[in-house]
Amino acid sequence: MSNDDNSSPHSQLSSHVFENLLNSIIVDIASECHRISRLGLDRNLEEEEEELRLSAQARRRFADSSNSGETNSKHVVDIFGQTHPAIANEIFECMNCGRSIMAGRFAPHLEKCMGKGRKARLKSTRSSTMQSRHSRGSPVSVYAPYSNRAANGTVDEYANGSLEES
Amino acid sequence: MSSTSSASNHRLLRRRHHLPPPCPHLASYLSSRGLRPFRALHRLLRLRPSGRASLRLDVPTCASCGGGSRRLYACLACAVVSCWDSGHAAAHAGSPGHEIAVDVDRAELFCCACRDQVYDSGFDAAVVLSVRSAVAASSGSAPSKKRRQVEYRPWTPGPKERTLVGEGSSPIGPHSPPPPAGLRGLNNLGNTCFMNSVLQALIHTPPLRNYFLSDRHNRFVCQRQRMKRYKSGGGGRGDNSGNEKKVCLACDLDAIFSAAFSGDRTPYSPASFLYSWWQHASNLASYEQQDAHEFFISMLDGIHEKVELDQSKTQDQGKGDCCIAHRVFSGILRSDVTCTVCGYTSTTYDPCVDISLDLDPSHGSTKTGSMKSRVSNGEVESMIAGQNHGMSTLMGCLERFTRPERLGADQKFYCQQCQEKQESLKQMSIRKLPLVTCFHIKRFEHSSTRNMSRKVDRYLQFPFSLDMSRYLSSSVLRSRYGNRIFSFDEENDDHVAGADDDDPNASVEISSEFELFAVVTHTGKLDAGHYITYLRLNNQWYRCDDAWITHVNEDLVRAAQCYMMFYVQKMLYYKASESASAS
Repeated sequence: MSNDDNSSPHSQLSSHVFENLLNSIIVDIASECHRISRLGLDRNLEEEEEELRLSAQARRRFADSSNSGETNSKHVVDIFGQTHPAIANEIFECMNCGRSIMAGRFAPHLEKCMGKGRKARLKSTRSSTMQSRHSRGSPVSVYAPYSNRAANGTVDEYANGSLEES
Repeated sequence: MSSTSSASNHRLLRRRHHLPPPCPHLASYLSSRGLRPFRALHRLLRLRPSGRASLRLDVPTCASCGGGSRRLYACLACAVVSCWDSGHAAAHAGSPGHEIAVDVDRAELFCCACRDQVYDSGFDAAVVLSVRSAVAASSGSAPSKKRRQVEYRPWTPGPKERTLVGEGSSPIGPHSPPPPAGLRGLNNLGNTCFMNSVLQALIHTPPLRNYFLSDRHNRFVCQRQRMKRYKSGGGGRGDNSGNEKKVCLACDLDAIFSAAFSGDRTPYSPASFLYSWWQHASNLASYEQQDAHEFFISMLDGIHEKVELDQSKTQDQGKGDCCIAHRVFSGILRSDVTCTVCGYTSTTYDPCVDISLDLDPSHGSTKTGSMKSRVSNGEVESMIAGQNHGMSTLMGCLERFTRPERLGADQKFYCQQCQEKQESLKQMSIRKLPLVTCFHIKRFEHSSTRNMSRKVDRYLQFPFSLDMSRYLSSSVLRSRYGNRIFSFDEENDDHVAGADDDDPNASVEISSEFELFAVVTHTGKLDAGHYITYLRLNNQWYRCDDAWITHVNEDLVRAAQCYMMFYVQKMLYYKASESASAS
């Protein structure tokens, strides 16, 4: 650029200034990187790149992992050699009202039992047993949208009558 | 300052910052100049608006050719300025004793004989000090008492201990090792996978597990004490106080730990815990899918609150003296707001129990508002580690979290020095790392204006081993000064080099390495999704999906869509040997 005889002194000067600026910027970065490297401030660089490489490799291997492992995981045998039903069937006593509840149904029961949640009133002046009878109306419409698995099971079990009936 | 302490100070700083030994020219210059070879330099340094230091010269031109603005070097011995590109600097360095010069524009030492940039802690200290006095910091407060930290002393068993252990134990057979202790499924009580996933991570959080398994919170003793207090009438508060005092989340957690480590592998129902938690967080008590992170915060708060009710005095959350929840998870964040006009920095500290990070804005976003101006030298470090295979990474999120951000003209901060509102730069950093760092990725976006929420499904890379040192306040401060070799005190910005070298940053460097031990992932849509946790035990990965525990390959975990990641300080991470038989 600066060797071009045809360029005017004006453009020669401006390209000279540009070169100086560019040079200065390059040396700035070189100086900073030199300092970081010499003082060992980037000593973890190799480990970090290794992690990135492993992750990229893992993604290629399990391209669709988030969906593949989910749907059939409920029927597998776990590492202890056990299988479990889709809805937990352990039975224990509710610590609020004392009734026997099935584990997989405990949260919806407790919600009514404690007088919390949308369907139940927040301030309860009646006993909890009276309250749960009132809100028995339409259980399916409350719970179906939120349950993402065993949707077929939900309807059936309520139709047959859950353990809460006792 | 005596000569011995100065020499040992130099050695300490050299070792800590991995300073290479000086070249022979620099070494001979230093030895010929006595204790403070760069003392005179102090007056010649000035601070540029960008935050960089340079030499203050009236007319920076080469003495030999008059050329300006190329690389200029000022000889340390005779102050003659020469340019490099025409060879004048190298020629000047031909005279013995004149090899070391200073880069005029960058305030960096340069050995013209070795043709390389060299480094010295005394020089960097002079630069930092002159920069600080240029900023005219606020009147110095009394140097605060440093918190004494006990040095970590590693211990290995001696021959006596080995024989004792060998005689008193029997090796596990050559079959495959039994599944790790504490691994047990949790029954889903009705859309409670958000709770189960967090509980699984907590059951295997080493300091928390150790606390409860060491019987540090005995639920039977605590319950007796609570009953006693409840019966004796409590503290004369409203009606609800009795109910709250009956609930102790730590007791329910203790029960869960006992159940998990009992050896019984049938899935456990955390019903009592749910009941107690719903009493504590009544606004979240409903049969709906909750957010796992919200549950985590609420739970820690519940454990803390109970302690405050007992002791009726507020403890310092940041130090974690108040309760086990804070002792494990609480760290301190530092926020610096710098006035762009005068350079005055105001610093505040806030405790935090986790770090919530935004995913980087989507590629091809048309919003120009997301562009933030970049100022500090910290940029260079992230550029070096730039090759990220086109993925969003956790370290990228952290880099953005600690990046200086120019606050808009509508967010002017009141500058104490200027006595008026000015445009400022804000920069976050981590003052104190917790024992266990929980990262929360903000995947759920709620737009109040459009009254809708959405989930961001983009993959985020996360490492199994993480070094947090570059996000610490000490590192961020250091990079603000151009990565100078200096002991930056974090309590107050003004600090004398070498005064407190017995303590601080050395221990910080050791404990900034973390190991991943639990990942909570969310799959599915916003309303109808599912949480599962991956646990890392004995360097094997286990998938905890409510009641179903299965063994998985580590690559599956790497490829998973992370939502919350739990890292523990490496010192506390026990890498048990993988073969069960005793050596």
